[in-house]
Amino acid sequence: MFARSLTVNGAFSLENYQHLLATGRSWQLLTNSLGLALTTAVICTIVGLPLGLLFAKTDLPLRRVFVLLFALPLVIPPYITAVSWAEMLAPHGLASGFFGEATARKLSGLLFGLPGCVLVLTTTFVPAVMLATMTFVRTINPRLEEAARLSARPLRVLSGITIPLIWPGVLLATTLVFLLALGEFGVPTFLRYSVFAVESFTQFTVSYNFGAATAAAVPLALLTFVILGIEWFVLRDKIQPLRPAGDDDAYLVPLRSYRVSLFVLVSILCALLVITPLMSLLLQAGSMQSYVRALHVVIDSLIRSLFIAAVGATALTVLGFFIGYLVHTRALPIWRAADAGTVLLFALPGTVIGMGLIAFWNHAATNLIYATPLIIVFGYLAQYTALTGRVTVGSLSLVPASMEEAAASAGANWMRRLGLIVLPLIRNALVVGWLIAYIFCLRDTGITMLVYPPGYDTLPVRIFTLMANGAPPLIAATCVLMIAATVLPLLGIAALMRTQRRRSWR
Amino acid sequence: MRKFWIAVAAALVIAAMIGLASCSSKRREGVVVYVSEDQVFSEPILRDFERDTGIRVKPVFDTEEAKSTGVMNRLLAEKNNPQADVYWANEPIRAEVLKQENVAAVYQSPSAEGIPANFKDPQKYWTGFSARARVLLVNNSVANKPKSISAYGDPAFNGKTVIANPLFGTTTTEIAALFIVWGDEKAKTFLTEMKRNNVKTATSNGESADFVAAGDSAFSLVDSDDAANRIKQGKAVEMIYPDQGDNEVGCFIVPNAVVLIKSGPHPEAGKKLIDYLLSAETERKLAASDAAQIPLHQGVETPAIVRKIEKIKTMQSDYAAVARKMREIEPLLKQWVGL
Repeated sequence: MFARSLTVNGAFSLENYQHLLATGRSWQLLTNSLGLALTTAVICTIVGLPLGLLFAKTDLPLRRVFVLLFALPLVIPPYITAVSWAEMLAPHGLASGFFGEATARKLSGLLFGLPGCVLVLTTTFVPAVMLATMTFVRTINPRLEEAARLSARPLRVLSGITIPLIWPGVLLATTLVFLLALGEFGVPTFLRYSVFAVESFTQFTVSYNFGAATAAAVPLALLTFVILGIEWFVLRDKIQPLRPAGDDDAYLVPLRSYRVSLFVLVSILCALLVITPLMSLLLQAGSMQSYVRALHVVIDSLIRSLFIAAVGATALTVLGFFIGYLVHTRALPIWRAADAGTVLLFALPGTVIGMGLIAFWNHAATNLIYATPLIIVFGYLAQYTALTGRVTVGSLSLVPASMEEAAASAGANWMRRLGLIVLPLIRNALVVGWLIAYIFCLRDTGITMLVYPPGYDTLPVRIFTLMANGAPPLIAATCVLMIAATVLPLLGIAALMRTQRRRSWR
Repeated sequence: MRKFWIAVAAALVIAAMIGLASCSSKRREGVVVYVSEDQVFSEPILRDFERDTGIRVKPVFDTEEAKSTGVMNRLLAEKNNPQADVYWANEPIRAEVLKQENVAAVYQSPSAEGIPANFKDPQKYWTGFSARARVLLVNNSVANKPKSISAYGDPAFNGKTVIANPLFGTTTTEIAALFIVWGDEKAKTFLTEMKRNNVKTATSNGESADFVAAGDSAFSLVDSDDAANRIKQGKAVEMIYPDQGDNEVGCFIVPNAVVLIKSGPHPEAGKKLIDYLLSAETERKLAASDAAQIPLHQGVETPAIVRKIEKIKTMQSDYAAVARKMREIEPLLKQWVGL
């Protein structure tokens, strides 16, 4: 695809890039893209970090229920969240009933533009920072906090010990949110906000110009490299004292007199960001009959989605581990290229990757891949390896190198060191990586809708195709089914992990 | 024990990969169709075809998000190793693009008999069927209802009208057709006047229809299925076929178009599907469905909301010329939209 962006009519040319730079619009797009991604990432961190700390480190009532509720929007394609908000603020929607049509109309006006994009993307990505915070909080050696508690108050322990120890992980999550917001095109398209991802998509749909579309995606990639360069510079050599992850003996800070007020505050935030759009979907779906009909329409796609996402997540976890290990240890000279490659692919819009996959794999000799659902898994590997890779790098940065070095000195070969030291120490991070990969695979539309083999659509793709003139109750019910299909297996896995942990204690 | 579980996990992953790859064995069966027509309307027809012929249909549907160009782009990208046998386009321009890009094959279906010549490619690369009309959807609160698309420039409607983004879909097609029928100067003046009259731009025809239905806008130029849908929902709107007067250009008609893909894997099954789609019975079903599409075969029974093609003054359009014009006016439309 990149090669195509450097040719016009078969000859080498920089025309696509000249055209991109010639108009002042590119700078406007750059400002808009940066503004949207930065605002989303900052707000997600400001909201997600305290939420993660509250749920992982305090005795806030119903915190497990809150975790589940706040995590919900992450599994819903952001485009659907945008549609729910638009539906809610429409003249006949929920907001109109509560605040009157005039107010709903004003709010609707705000939704279509930067504020709406930030709202939807914040709703979607706050859980990423929140879950990352909770994960990294649990990897902190409890002795450090216990020692601090002897002479300091809980808030001081939090600001002086806990947050400094987890900030590399939080920064990693913030960077991921920034990149996801930067590459997002569904929400800005729907809410009419011009960013580079939309421009790239428009080049495909209006001009059928693959070269220009790729050229429009290149600034996204450059921005990504700059941000990751900064992140690498800030995070390098940040090795923390570590305990093997998995214990659940963390000390919970008693909130005492703040317990009720914080509970109310979190409840309001939950109602605003999660319950309201969800209610909008549930109200739109209406009766049980809609769900029965929806299940009848999408059952094949649903089963396929779960299966392909599980295979994709497993493949991503394996590949991400090896890429992450390579990047962390710098064992081979290609580590930088491997890191940059996965990040570049992650930053590109799914449509560009989809077209690239078609160009690369659609040959008679490779029909075994292209004409089967394997192409979807390859698409996931292309776009999302950066996620599992970065999770691995983040967790490996917490493993003291001395442990593996000691094992190597004792004569353990590489496979033994991986199996007996590295993998057990980052086991929880790998599970988190798998879950993140599973969620992203399950809700993917950008790549899947371009490459899915005939007759093998996935549930999100089916929702999108149904959206064109489909009955709103059917679409809403299908969205609810998708949420249930995502959440239930995740709950099952969480319960399984919990049971295993209890058994291991005994 | 650990090694055992690792081996089990590896075996499961490999089995899953083989399972996914084995899907290719089914490639030899059935017919593969790429569909730009909305899934809710096209899927029942394809199911009926499966039931009636026993041939399994493997569809790839387009999404609203991709502005119905996703599968066409895919067909272009797959040109050297086609996976599809048939393309069901929701307008003939995409079929024309495939013809120009050497992706389409010639096929003259016996079912095409009776479809007027202006809805068929003279070289038989594509054939039109079941059409939408480009109509004015007008809110009932409007006292003097517009009868022509020229009303977009009428100062009486300043700031009160809406139109779908002219960079996408049937709106682009109609504007390109107007450039041909009216000539460049008159069409440019129309666009300028519309802009000066503060027309609002919606992301899609459906959204612009919603603006009118909600009373936010007085009228909009939309597809007849969008208009029929709002009328069926009981909204306070009226559908008007524009420019029906003696000296007026007529209503722009947008038929579906079906294309046989060159070197597709199942050409014979593809031809059978094309014959089925072009039949009067399929047109009857599409007219009776929520798509409310206008049959191009004469004498096909239609519900009251669907006007018969012979009772509409249609704009005389050469779709090949329209396709070329679309590319020519693309910079102008981008400028108009503000890109």
